[in-house]
Amino acid sequence: MDTFTLEILTPNGQIFSGKVRSVTLPGEEGEFGVLANHASLTTLLTSGVIDIEKEDKKVESVLINWGVVQVDEEKVVVLAEGAVAIRGESESEISKALEEAKQLLNDIADSGTAIAAASAKIETAAKSLL
Amino acid sequence: MANLKDIQRKIKSVSSTQKTTRAMKLVSTAKLRRAEDLAKRSRLYAEKMNQVLAEIAGRIECSKIGGLDDNRFFAPEENPKMIDIIFVTADKGLCGGFNIQTIKATKNLIAKYQEKKVKIRLRGVGKKGIEYFKYNEVELYDEVVGLSSKPDKAKSDEFIQASIEDFKLGKTDAVYIVYNGYKNMITQELHVNKILPIDASDYDCDQTKQKSTLEIEAQDEEHMLNSLVETYAKYNMYYTLIDSVAAEHSARMQAMDTATNNAKEMVKALNVQYNKARQAAITTELIEIISGVESMK
Repeated sequence: MDTFTLEILTPNGQIFSGKVRSVTLPGEEGEFGVLANHASLTTLLTSGVIDIEKEDKKVESVLINWGVVQVDEEKVVVLAEGAVAIRGESESEISKALEEAKQLLNDIADSGTAIAAASAKIETAAKSLL
Repeated sequence: MANLKDIQRKIKSVSSTQKTTRAMKLVSTAKLRRAEDLAKRSRLYAEKMNQVLAEIAGRIECSKIGGLDDNRFFAPEENPKMIDIIFVTADKGLCGGFNIQTIKATKNLIAKYQEKKVKIRLRGVGKKGIEYFKYNEVELYDEVVGLSSKPDKAKSDEFIQASIEDFKLGKTDAVYIVYNGYKNMITQELHVNKILPIDASDYDCDQTKQKSTLEIEAQDEEHMLNSLVETYAKYNMYYTLIDSVAAEHSARMQAMDTATNNAKEMVKALNVQYNKARQAAITTELIEIISGVESMK
């Protein structure tokens, strides 16, 4: 299966950069997935979770509060205002990331359903890591 | 001849000043490293943001008749009536020409627009600049202290939001930011940035048409553009603050380094003077003794 480069950038630095097999993004009009060789597209993202399937088939989740994505045939760049990656080596690191993610969710003064869905998603993502 | 004690006191005072300036230099070096790191990390984001914005703007410009002309954010300013000038200075002094450079550039910009009979709203960030304009009785529309030494995204968003809103409503015709930015460890670079309206005129239409593009509804692009422009302006403000902090620390580091060196030289010169005075005193005493002995003979 083909891979492509994914970059997630925030004003405070790079959250993710590397080769991935697929990525699912929370678009403003609904969730959509991107595989390699996707047609070029630039669109807005809302608060939600980005699911990344990495080269080794491991899945990683990144929570964002708002963003823009620029899809190219061999590269995807996500510009997010705030982002937290749910990952870590140990249990404490993962729970710390989870805390940060929840904090970010609380800061979004938005309607409840999207937040509830996102919060459920990051919880499961964190559990699958443990 | 200077009194020995006076010279000694002077030496003591200068060397304690030297200690202070050296400590300040070290503090600035440490802070600079952190600020520089932050600026470096967000520069990547800034570049990408500009790229995305330019691309979308270009796409709308190229694909539609009339293009962006009806979009206020991209219309070039013609005969502006009122403009916003935001200046960013440090909250503290002792950093060489850092603040005064920004103030001078701001004054030049004001003079340039006043000549054209444009009304100016001056919005200030940083205590030093605010103090200067207040002392010179220049009216400030808005002022924030504490933001330039500790950049905070939420506060900076709030500050720039007022300018964006006024621009949107047509109260102002342009928004400028004047600040001193970081170039490298020893140089600062003065920036006068026009944040709004955005200049998208140099976009190449032919290049876009060659790329395969997934077309979404056109309304979507306009809507996207508007929310992007706000983010762009907000982010620019935040980046300005980060860049300014880095520059402030590098300027202070340099100024304190020079001050330390000057103090060192001064101590050296004073020491020579002290030794000379001491020798002169000894010689006088000797002469007194010898001439005393001579007269006893």
